[in-house]
Amino acid sequence: MNIIGPDALVFGVDDIAACAQYLTDYGLTPVGLDANGGRFEALDGTAVVLAHKDDPNLPAPLGTASMLRKTIYGVADEHTLGAIAEELGRDRDVKRLPDGSIETVDDMGFALGFQVTVRRPLDLPAEAINAPYAPAGRPANVVGVDEGAPALPRTLSHVVYFVPDAAKAEAFYVGRLGFACTDRLLGAGPFLKPAGTDDHHTLFLIQTPPFMKGCEHFTFHLGGPTEVLQAGTRFVNKGYQSFWGPGRHKMGSNWFWYFNSPLGCHVEYDADMDLHDAGWTARAVPMSADASQLFLFQQRDKWAPGGPPPGAAGAAERH
Amino acid sequence: MAQEAAFLCRDDELPERESRGFDPWNDGRDTVLLVRHGGQVYGWRDACPHHGGTPMAWRKDAYLNYERNRIVCAAHGAQFDIESGSCVLGPCLGQSLQRVRLVITPERHIYIRPLGEEET
Repeated sequence: MNIIGPDALVFGVDDIAACAQYLTDYGLTPVGLDANGGRFEALDGTAVVLAHKDDPNLPAPLGTASMLRKTIYGVADEHTLGAIAEELGRDRDVKRLPDGSIETVDDMGFALGFQVTVRRPLDLPAEAINAPYAPAGRPANVVGVDEGAPALPRTLSHVVYFVPDAAKAEAFYVGRLGFACTDRLLGAGPFLKPAGTDDHHTLFLIQTPPFMKGCEHFTFHLGGPTEVLQAGTRFVNKGYQSFWGPGRHKMGSNWFWYFNSPLGCHVEYDADMDLHDAGWTARAVPMSADASQLFLFQQRDKWAPGGPPPGAAGAAERH
Repeated sequence: MAQEAAFLCRDDELPERESRGFDPWNDGRDTVLLVRHGGQVYGWRDACPHHGGTPMAWRKDAYLNYERNRIVCAAHGAQFDIESGSCVLGPCLGQSLQRVRLVITPERHIYIRPLGEEET
């Protein structure tokens, strides 16, 4: 099954204006936004879609606090779409929607869509670095820091689900849709990638009690670690609440920075994820803070080294 | 050394159906929130019981749902009853926010009593 990855995540929210502002400030571009919702696109056209939680066109809610209503996967072609419809149609309803996509549910009750991918191929450079004894990443006179760099989300990377039965959920994605497990955090769940991408994961499953079922977070890929820190710093400066990060994960090696959101889940910036092919053997380690991250920083206000500030110097002299 | 009560805001600086976060003990981030609901002021620690007491707002002072009848944790959407602090939906179902003790002076200034003196 040539599934490339998530094309869009659909949320049913109570406060469309707040969520629209949030996603715009995060760096997505509103498309067709009105009082009933709209689409918020990354550079390649992958997106978060907002609708009111009572919109009758949305798939049913999960019955928890989660506002995620549908995950829409992009696939390579019509042939793949037909193959998915045939495979999943064996034991569940698969609807063909007017836009040509298909809609169904996974074994945990998460609504799924599949469509021929809307991703627009882009020609963008990765963050370039210089290192001693390595070929120059940037030619002479090209500076690395650009305070005005856009640092915009390039593509929808992955979504993380809280699921009540991680083994059963994994079996569905692996057995029915051709996903592969790239790594496993024991006690939490598997990192999964579909066949149409080399990314370490587009889906991560975390075992939880049923009342937690839903979306833990989603993230878009940026152009490199500097962009993660630059976009995240701007987001903090706009008043948004950092939750975890910046830091770097071990599994996947991706840089991360997570924020609270009005969408009922965390929203992350990420960059520089590992790529894998069939030659990779999945690792399995017990879930822990040490297993989850190589290092973790905490954002704080800017400062610069120098002599003591006037007040401090004055205080020292008085003693 | 015992901490003294810390000033949060004037009573008229907290409108009905609004929430505000405060950092009374200079932790570098808001650790307490106030909500006015039905005329009453309710004070809670800004710490979701789901996961190690994480901060709940998604933006400065943004602790309420759209209907303004629940406190919401913007980590995973957990909803809390404003008056009792009980989680009514979400990952910390059955748990509760921690109430802080408030003092409202005759001048209508809202103070928080030192931590460790919370009601349970």
